[in-house]
Amino acid sequence: MTEAPLSLLIEFDDQVRRDQSQSPVFLHRRDRKFAIACNTAGQTPGPRQWLDHLHSLNPASPSTASPGPLARWRAVAWGFGLVGAILGVITMLGLLFYDGGQQINVTVILAFIALQLGLALLTTLQSLIGWQPWGRLATWLKTHGAGQPERPALSRLQPALMAGCAHLGGLAFGLTGGLTLLTLVVVQDLAFGWSSTLTAGADAYHHLVVAISAPWHSLWPAAVPSADLVRDSRFFRIESASAVVPARWGDWWPFLAMAWLCYVVIPRAALLLAARIQLAVQARLALRQHPGLAALMYRMETPALDTGDGHADASDAPDLAIRHQVRPLPASPVRIHWAGADEGLRWPEPPDDDTVLILQAGGSATLAQDRQVLQQARLRLANERQPTVTVVTRAWQPPTGELADFLADARQAWPDGTLTALVPVGADANPVEPAQLDQWLRFVDRLTSPSLQLCQPASDNRADAREQAAGAHND
Amino acid sequence: MTETPVFAVVGHPNKGKSSVVATLSQNDAIAIALEPGTTRRRQTYPLSVDGEVLYELVDTPGFQRPRRVLAWLEAHSLSASDHADTVVAFLNQHRDSEVFTDECELLTPLMAGAGIIYVVDGSVPYSPEHEAEMTILRWTGRPSLALINSIGPGDHARTWQAALGQFFQVVRRFDAVRAPFEDHLGLLKAFGQLEPSWEPALERAVHYLAAQREQRQWQSAELIANALADMMAWQERRTVTAVATPVAATDRVAQELREHWYRHQRQREQSLRLAVEHLYQHSRIQRQEAELTWHSEHDLFSERSRRLWGVSRSYLAAAGFGAGALGGVGVDALTLGSSFGAGALIGGLMGAAGSVFYGDRLAQSLWRLGPLKEGLQTIRFGPVQDTQFGYIVLGRAVDHWWSISQRNHAGRDPLDLAPHDSHWLTELARGPRQELQQLLNKARKNKALEPRDRQRLATVIHDVMSAYRAWRLNRD
Repeated sequence: MTEAPLSLLIEFDDQVRRDQSQSPVFLHRRDRKFAIACNTAGQTPGPRQWLDHLHSLNPASPSTASPGPLARWRAVAWGFGLVGAILGVITMLGLLFYDGGQQINVTVILAFIALQLGLALLTTLQSLIGWQPWGRLATWLKTHGAGQPERPALSRLQPALMAGCAHLGGLAFGLTGGLTLLTLVVVQDLAFGWSSTLTAGADAYHHLVVAISAPWHSLWPAAVPSADLVRDSRFFRIESASAVVPARWGDWWPFLAMAWLCYVVIPRAALLLAARIQLAVQARLALRQHPGLAALMYRMETPALDTGDGHADASDAPDLAIRHQVRPLPASPVRIHWAGADEGLRWPEPPDDDTVLILQAGGSATLAQDRQVLQQARLRLANERQPTVTVVTRAWQPPTGELADFLADARQAWPDGTLTALVPVGADANPVEPAQLDQWLRFVDRLTSPSLQLCQPASDNRADAREQAAGAHND
Repeated sequence: MTETPVFAVVGHPNKGKSSVVATLSQNDAIAIALEPGTTRRRQTYPLSVDGEVLYELVDTPGFQRPRRVLAWLEAHSLSASDHADTVVAFLNQHRDSEVFTDECELLTPLMAGAGIIYVVDGSVPYSPEHEAEMTILRWTGRPSLALINSIGPGDHARTWQAALGQFFQVVRRFDAVRAPFEDHLGLLKAFGQLEPSWEPALERAVHYLAAQREQRQWQSAELIANALADMMAWQERRTVTAVATPVAATDRVAQELREHWYRHQRQREQSLRLAVEHLYQHSRIQRQEAELTWHSEHDLFSERSRRLWGVSRSYLAAAGFGAGALGGVGVDALTLGSSFGAGALIGGLMGAAGSVFYGDRLAQSLWRLGPLKEGLQTIRFGPVQDTQFGYIVLGRAVDHWWSISQRNHAGRDPLDLAPHDSHWLTELARGPRQELQQLLNKARKNKALEPRDRQRLATVIHDVMSAYRAWRLNRD
């Protein structure tokens, strides 16, 4: 019962650690969906329900997926219990050692019982103030939990866990010690007496044992030593007054058995229970203060926002290879300005003369006007030995399907073998940027027409550089 | 039930349509290239809250043959009243046409009810060749908004604005790569104003996006706080046989520990970088590792980093005085004021002295030998004794967070984290400054900060981020 909050804490801590490798978006979506399902079902989502939900979806990880730290602590507790049980037998055998010579001193046994009670109370005090004299064992546990991460959430529970182990050992010690006492009483003829170096009289000693017997005084009066027994079993009196019946020397055992039970066994059992309760309370507190719980509650309470980042095609980029190269601008009797490419145009060379036919196509021109331009050019090229047409375009505007259609129509309309020089020009007579030139080179590549060339005026140094770069690329 | 608003982002090829969509959908995995035809099919990007779609953006290919489309439409129309029907007829006619594939892809969502977001590049001159596209869009009869995006350095926005105003209901400027987040929200609000029934959904979207933005700053603060606490407390240790280990070998082990410690700190810093980037849905940032790309003088442990990101001795003394005084006030409270504030004064002086003393120990050796026990000796390296180290880590982390939080998802340039030549941390208010110093000292002394202290550290770092933002906005 008391382990449930602890195992819940550890299980929760494990899940939070596993979640650290997940993306925040996924976690938010997962937990928000769970919270909505709980609300729909009229349930209040909490860590237990959340873990059960995750386990139901992940059967490979059973609910006891994290036995690590808890199992180690259980092993330590059982180790303490075993050692305590063995020590209880040995200690009681030592305390009740009687070889027929000197009687067993009741005062020594009472002192030992007081020591046990003191140790039990000290253990509880340690755990309450958080002092860890067992720190080395905790370190050992951490060191031998190979691959086990440090758990800040669990470290604050160590004092209570240690106290539980110590009390279990103490309880086992008390139980086996008590059983050994009873066994020896049955199988041996034990002789008890008492003595003290202090000058305490038999009356004072009797008052002491009566006070000690207070818890069972009314339950078992026979287990309260009488004044006569106290007086008659004092060591020096035994030796001096041989008239005392030796059979009475064993009458101390009910008192010792009850003292052992009431001051060793029962306190240990009570403090063990208290340690378990303290552990459960601290585990609940640690879970409430767990940073992962605050994050979980936030994810469950806050709407999950998906901005539409699921689709990814950045790696599916178009082919950017360039196979064509820039050519020098040839002389041409026809120049067509595509889509208003004549605005601000400074045409360096070859210099225009009156024989060059300049036409406008594309852009705001109609398709009929484009067809008319093709016919005008055809007529002008009819008498040319090496027919050549220059098509000037805006370098910053990407080549479109309309230009491709225009060039395809031109091939049909113009004389066979007509060379088409495509010349992208920069805005405001600026040189063409290499990136802009690249898209035009790839456009020419795509059209795969041997009579189509990308050309730049020879004076454009950038074009020269591009030409060299393209040449190197082709090599 | 109101239909989900859908916005088709259309325009001439290569004018930044995908960039606009990438930024608004916070998706840095959308293909963006200065190559016509990069977008070949329309793609929908829904924004949803708890599975409920609030709006959808549709990225489309650019117009390839607008004049031919317009010619077809004009040839099949009698009057303005049949324009929209004629566009539908065009789609029916050319649904399987290879010639008009791009036009069909971009017109289909419009005729299914989407609003028009027409994107142009305001850095190049206006051209009448766009008028055919704009005319076709007007024929669809859909609510429309024009965005003037700026891809290059030129500025022809005014000419564009005048021309677009004749075709579209709303014309706005929006730099997809550089627009601040507030502009994203403003643009979404403008989308909502295109159609009254769309406004509530867009308002909700804006509300959720703003809340997500605020929450991301908190989450970043927590990530940085955790990394800072881990790095301040990190220790490398190794146990060696003392008898068999000559001094030289011990030095070698110490050197190995030192290298491991430095490597771990760098790796932890890098994992923090990735976590913050993923938080802001940046998964493809080209940020090369510090050791590879950055000049060594910008490394985490360089003296230059110390000068740039560390704080002055006077700052440390002031912050340490405040942190010590906070403890001293506790003494005054315990004595019910009978110490007349002496506790605060003494605590302050001790804090200041401690801060200055411990504030300059990065350069000092961090390794120490443990006691010899049964022939074994433990050599430890760390934790760092210098609170300056915390300020350096924090400064670099906050600077990275700022760059990421301001980076739009259309950005494809490598992330440049150039150091600044100003100690912005001095802009921080006194209270958070002292608490920060106190927590850094605690992190230096403790092996692991308690969750409560980590939460306090995250709160202070959130304040630090706000101070940094104010400093950057004033500086820029």
